[in-house]
Amino acid sequence: MRRILVVFLCLLPFTAVGQIIVDKPLSDRLTGYDIDVTFDPEAHTVTGLMTAWWVNNSSMPVGEAMMHMYLNAFSSNQSTFASRGRWSAAGDDGWGWVKILSMKDGRGNDLSDSCSYVSPDDGNRNDKTVLRISLPEPVAPGDTLVLTIDFASKLPSPIQRTGYEDDFHFVAQWFPKFGVYETAGMRQREADGWNCHQFHPNSEFYSNHSVYNVSVIMPSEFVTGSGGRLIEEIDLGEDHKKVIWRAEDIVDFAWTAWPGYKVRTRKWNNVDITFLTSETGLSKAENHLDAVVYALEYLGERVGPYPWPHLTFVDPPLSGSGAGGMEYTTLFTTMGGGAVPSFLRMPEMVTIHEFGHAYFMGILASNEFEEPWLDEGVNSYWEQRIVDHYYGAGYGLLKLPFLKMSDTDQGRMSYITSPSRTIATNDLPSWMYPHGTYSMMSYNKTATWLHTLEGIIGTETMDNVFREYYHRWAFHHPSGRDFIAAVNDVVRSEHGDRFGENMNWFFDEVLYGSGECDYRVSGITSNKIRSYSGVVDGDSVSYARGDRKSDTLYLSRVSIERLGDVRLPVEVLVRFDNGEEVLETWDGKATYRDFEYTGARRVVWAKLDPYDKIDMDVNRINNSFTLDPAHTVARRMLNKYMLLMQMIISIFTL
Amino acid sequence: MSIFKTLKNGAAAAASSYKLILFVWITILVLVMAVGFPLRSFLNAMFGNSLVVERLNNGFDIGLAGDFGKPFGALMAAASAGTLLAGTAGFFIMTFFAGGFFRRYSLAWGGLKVSDFLRASAGNFIPFLKIALLMMLITGAYTFIIVGIPGIVAMMVSGSQLPTGKVLYLFYVLWALGMPVWLFVADASRRWIAATGSRKVLRALGAGFRAMKERFWLSYGTVLAVLVINTAAVLAIFWFAGNATPDRSLAVFLFFAATQLLFILRLFMKAWRYASVCEAVK
Repeated sequence: MRRILVVFLCLLPFTAVGQIIVDKPLSDRLTGYDIDVTFDPEAHTVTGLMTAWWVNNSSMPVGEAMMHMYLNAFSSNQSTFASRGRWSAAGDDGWGWVKILSMKDGRGNDLSDSCSYVSPDDGNRNDKTVLRISLPEPVAPGDTLVLTIDFASKLPSPIQRTGYEDDFHFVAQWFPKFGVYETAGMRQREADGWNCHQFHPNSEFYSNHSVYNVSVIMPSEFVTGSGGRLIEEIDLGEDHKKVIWRAEDIVDFAWTAWPGYKVRTRKWNNVDITFLTSETGLSKAENHLDAVVYALEYLGERVGPYPWPHLTFVDPPLSGSGAGGMEYTTLFTTMGGGAVPSFLRMPEMVTIHEFGHAYFMGILASNEFEEPWLDEGVNSYWEQRIVDHYYGAGYGLLKLPFLKMSDTDQGRMSYITSPSRTIATNDLPSWMYPHGTYSMMSYNKTATWLHTLEGIIGTETMDNVFREYYHRWAFHHPSGRDFIAAVNDVVRSEHGDRFGENMNWFFDEVLYGSGECDYRVSGITSNKIRSYSGVVDGDSVSYARGDRKSDTLYLSRVSIERLGDVRLPVEVLVRFDNGEEVLETWDGKATYRDFEYTGARRVVWAKLDPYDKIDMDVNRINNSFTLDPAHTVARRMLNKYMLLMQMIISIFTL
Repeated sequence: MSIFKTLKNGAAAAASSYKLILFVWITILVLVMAVGFPLRSFLNAMFGNSLVVERLNNGFDIGLAGDFGKPFGALMAAASAGTLLAGTAGFFIMTFFAGGFFRRYSLAWGGLKVSDFLRASAGNFIPFLKIALLMMLITGAYTFIIVGIPGIVAMMVSGSQLPTGKVLYLFYVLWALGMPVWLFVADASRRWIAATGSRKVLRALGAGFRAMKERFWLSYGTVLAVLVINTAAVLAIFWFAGNATPDRSLAVFLFFAATQLLFILRLFMKAWRYASVCEAVK
């Protein structure tokens, strides 16, 4: 009881404003931040005071704290981020950093000398993105560590996720932020400890759901947006204002300021959507707002509700395009600037993708560093479903009279065309994917095998899997194993033993294995059965069917082969010359399988995976075989090509 | 002479030279077939006995490109190289034949045998080539000044990825309205060479500008009218070719016939412009 009282008293100052945004806390709120800063757009700095708190929810005392100091990734070209991501400052003024000017704990102890930088991922001594704070006395279970930090942040240029360009500022990863203290059993962890990774070129998110009270003093001309809800904007006179935001239960807080922003808003159900864009980006504002509404609607119906009543997103100007395509849960950035033609839905795709991170990383706060597939891959899968659902199956991403592409196929193509697609498994930490395969593996291979899983267990079951995953893990930190457990439980409850005791075999193949999937129809034969004649044990036996043609019998054979290592159940649709069709199933485990048919009908074609359930199959050309190949398509394409050539020649000559 | 009469006489002259137009068509057809047929064979070999071609019935599904694997890259490389080669060869061929056409239209009313047409083409080829290259430079610079510079300024001011904005549309319109001037000068210069037999390109350009100045509205109006009709026809042709999806053998053949008829129409319209300009400067 005494402990509860202590916690309550410690948290009282931070909860004084109460529940402003959501009716009741969505998360455990183990961390929180009160930040009062001044933004200097000339120096590109943010300086001020922060009070941060962390609750020790473990059963053991904790003697140290760890914090992200991610802006230091831009402090030299030797940081892990800069050296691997080949980022370098645009001149001497381009370096970025975050400095702790002073740090005290709740009892007034000066911790400035208790801080040291560590590099848990790669041992890089030049990387100063993770700060370890040795505490003068351990934080007891249930107690709260309160840190008062005087800090200064300098934004980098050129922008990469965060930074500035002229007067455009995107302020992300800008303040010292706690890592996640994981208890034993959490994400299959064996012992308690901090999980606090360095800032990497490909990953930056794993944090507690927190409460943020942020106030920023800045010149009045700046138009702003953030991941929080605007509480108040106070005119301070002398062309300055104070902007106060509050955010609840999000894993990171970012904001942006630019005098050139144009603002468009829309309300969907109870969500206030704000879109910040440039003058030229206004022409596509409605498209972007539509895309967000589509994503809200689709994920809300199939995964779980979007719990916040606010959402802000940004289409940065060309000069700030380095900030495009990023996610901070209730704030995200897209791209396009109004310049992409409407037949190409790339900007909408980015909008939907980055919004999707509000679910996959924001609500379901998996560890992007250690399991990027659970963040980017799962999110890409849903992005592809949404894009193709709303903009057209088969042409969701690109639609021209003579050219088309679905978003799903775009992701799949990235995977199947990669020469390194079998180089590693799909469950590596983000910085350990070899040969530049991070994007292909974590985004596209994952999305491809998730589509395959959907094909196998059915769309409704897949949706139920994610509903269950959301139900179990919203506002917690799930691991890949937790996701698989949700799959196993839902599939078993809906399909029994149809797919075996569990679905682990599937994940062993696609997630923890590195093989590829390729089935093919190797051929079709249809041979007339000859009249039976011959000699058996000295007796002459003959059976003549005669020359009648009407009851001629055929032995038809459809030969299927498994060329890849991945073994998945497949279907084969066989068509006969009398119009009949037969759908065969095969467990796909052996290296080959023949389907034979005897009768008056002959096989004319066979299609393996006729309903495109197995997106993992790296070659769909060999998934079908016909005895009567049509060449009209090639002829038609030739005709179009020749006319195009002729027209080009005639147009580009005087 | 009125614009309408000029266009009418030009159309009649172009129509009377149908044999020459057909000759040019066959030449260009052979050229593009030389590139296209190997590509078709390549495509057929890639598809083999697969039914996957069904996916191409409503436009080329780029998603299939990955399934082709490395052969698709080879196909694209071959298509790109073939297109570049055929495009370059086509440029020279069309420039070559323009010599014959202008000779034909600068003569008094009457025919021109194919052998004479070829002879005139050969005789005018070098100065015509020089004029074509010079006009490419001039129109390129013109485009950069009228559209490029305002576009760059607009991008710098707005911070957009592409030049957009209502003011820029005025520059696009200005650019389009200026193009007939350059086309007329090019055509009138070539007509001057074809009529006089001179090989002096700069003098020819001077003659072209003079002709433009002497009968500006007739010259300008004639080329503008032909250009507008040409543009509409080209857009219609692209729309038809882009949307047509014949999937049976006979339909594909008819599609081939239709596309070639459309290209012949396009050649006719080009000849019409040549003939109309010749009429205008008579």
